[in-house]
Amino acid sequence: MDFEFSPEEKRFKQEVRQFFQSEPELCSGFMEEWHGGEGFGPRSWALLRKLGERRWLTPSWPRKYGGLELPYIYYYIIQEEMSYWLGLYACVGTAMAGPIILQHGTEEQKDFYLPQIARGEIEFCLGYSEPQAGSDLANLQLRAEDKGDHYLLNGQKTYNTRCHFAQYHWLAARTGSEGPKHRGISLFIVDLKTPGISITPLMTFSGERTNDVFYDNVRVPRSSLVGEVGRGFYYIMEALTYERVTPVGAQQRLFEELIKYVRESGRGSDPLVRQKIAELAIELEACRLFTLNVVAAQSKGIVPTYEASAAKVFITEAELRLANTAVNLFGLRGQIQGDTQWSVLHGAFEFIYRESLMELIIRGTSEILRNVIAQRGLGLRRE
Amino acid sequence: MNLDLSEEQEMLRKMARDFLEEECPTSHVREMEQDEKGYSPALWRKMAELGWMGLVFPEEYGGTGGDFVDLTILLGEMGRALLPGPFIPTVVCSGLPLLHYGTKEQKGNFLPRIAGGSLILTLALTEPDVRFDESGIQVRAKGETRYSISGTKLFVPYAHIAEGIICAARTKKGIALLLVPAESAGISLTLLTTIAADKQYEVVFNRVKVPAGNVLGKAGEGWGIVRDIEKWGALAHCGYEVGSLERVLEMTVSYANERIQFDRPIGSFQAIQHKCADMAMDIDGARFLTYQAAWKASQGVEMSREISMAKAWTGEASRRVCLSSHQIHAAIGLFKDYDLELHFRRAKAAELAFGEGDFHRERVARELGL
Repeated sequence: MDFEFSPEEKRFKQEVRQFFQSEPELCSGFMEEWHGGEGFGPRSWALLRKLGERRWLTPSWPRKYGGLELPYIYYYIIQEEMSYWLGLYACVGTAMAGPIILQHGTEEQKDFYLPQIARGEIEFCLGYSEPQAGSDLANLQLRAEDKGDHYLLNGQKTYNTRCHFAQYHWLAARTGSEGPKHRGISLFIVDLKTPGISITPLMTFSGERTNDVFYDNVRVPRSSLVGEVGRGFYYIMEALTYERVTPVGAQQRLFEELIKYVRESGRGSDPLVRQKIAELAIELEACRLFTLNVVAAQSKGIVPTYEASAAKVFITEAELRLANTAVNLFGLRGQIQGDTQWSVLHGAFEFIYRESLMELIIRGTSEILRNVIAQRGLGLRRE
Repeated sequence: MNLDLSEEQEMLRKMARDFLEEECPTSHVREMEQDEKGYSPALWRKMAELGWMGLVFPEEYGGTGGDFVDLTILLGEMGRALLPGPFIPTVVCSGLPLLHYGTKEQKGNFLPRIAGGSLILTLALTEPDVRFDESGIQVRAKGETRYSISGTKLFVPYAHIAEGIICAARTKKGIALLLVPAESAGISLTLLTTIAADKQYEVVFNRVKVPAGNVLGKAGEGWGIVRDIEKWGALAHCGYEVGSLERVLEMTVSYANERIQFDRPIGSFQAIQHKCADMAMDIDGARFLTYQAAWKASQGVEMSREISMAKAWTGEASRRVCLSSHQIHAAIGLFKDYDLELHFRRAKAAELAFGEGDFHRERVARELGL
């Protein structure tokens, strides 16, 4: 048993930290672009390319595709620092699409996409959710008809968050209507500039942009298909196993700011405030340990279905409590938005209070994940 | 980073589980609640033969040199079985302070006998105002070459069977921990009727005489030792509760899968599944925080913050977990002969021991520099 990183891992963490510290403008630019609804703008791409130059976007990948063949824990260390400095810790390309291409893609797909992902030049957008397929993803209806030399795509995706700046759609489409719903789904990589695709914004009330994506007789070559026809749902599930970890660097940074405020404002002597801050500190420590538990399992090659679900539920719900406790601690001033004369800590917690709601939904709602914990983790019966 | 137990630790766990399943069924737990001694001397001897009493002592004192992670594993299995008896007061709250602060003579005198299972000790710390700070120690020890102790202690576990009591008392120089032979004149005991029926006593000292050589550590420096005992004690109760709660969750899941209502197992209802998921997360948090604290203690690094985090979390989680389990078991869980209530009552005793949530959150706040 050892709850700490090894000396070599600590040294690496320090190196990654120093990189982010040396790029304050790109880091703040990254966050401004993301939270302003732009997604990856010029400064985000510049930062991703710098990470790519160091092969830090894909440190565990084979060298020939732009990786360093390092153990999984190094990838986690980078994610933890990304979370702390950027508030975002994964790209769809590096974390979900890339690993599936590596496992199931053709040689052409690997040679074309993987090096670009590793260099930080391209991003994918998840194309899963539809108006009638949210938690019940297998119910998705966007159709892909096999026309011999190409597929013809028709239908609608919704809440596809990165489509307005990503180059490629990681698209789940229905290729079969016989048998169980989840066996008629296939995965495609679609260039989002293909004629017939239209993208319209959906703005969340915390300022993120997500999108409706409409496919109107979109022709894509057969080479767009990922792996085997009808296996798409399994690849989606497999991709989830690569992207299980929820680093809490961002929450740690917020807590550091909060505790600094409490100290400097002189409220640290109030017993009620002390109780609340201590409770947040305990929850945050638990969050970190929930995450390390997932990392430990991943490092051993175990698919941490239960562990990751528990971590995601606990961490996202704890983030909302962190935001709520802070906002209430500020009293009436807790509601003031942005960096103004009367806002507290640049309005960061007012923002997180809104933004953390999304975290409770994406990557599986808290309720769906509690089902997973109960059924797959604890062995409760489905019926 | 590696959160697994070692092979030896897995063996310790398995051995303890197998042994306690055989030797400490819940019928034994209930029997001991009614029993005057409150523990089984025969079972105690067997545990000593397995090396449990000496687990955390060095070999020179008859121990096996285990660390706090080993101790936490063992306590977890004891909690799972709800083992009654004076293990925590003897080994954790008396043995460890003797090991770390005792004179060579004291160590040589007491530790091998604890390890061998022939000596039971206990700690008299808390007083009627139940404060955990230094001002809470009002029992007086007058004199210099010989102390005369007077005052009242509460919640002294297994005082009726202990051969010696380590008593925290106020001397001219400050707080001292005094080793008091239990047969000394002037000690009177009254059993407290507590929620867990766990043999906690009121101990009244009426001009009890002990020689100055019976001080553990130095007179006046006792409070520092008490702080360490509190940490070890808090950690021990966390370890015990983690094991107890894991058992509660197992009982709950198997009951929910078997109990049929509306023509289906109640465990298939999401209302039940989500409660179970919350219980599992509560227990995971308790286990992570407790083992992290134990691991840090084993490394010999400062772990006050980690222990307070673990104790605050585990105390509250244990209450939530037991309550959810009772809701899922519904009426059957209310009955006196159903095992769940044993866990429920002990969880409250463990939550209160060495500080509940508010107390430890205040400690955490202090550690954060507030």
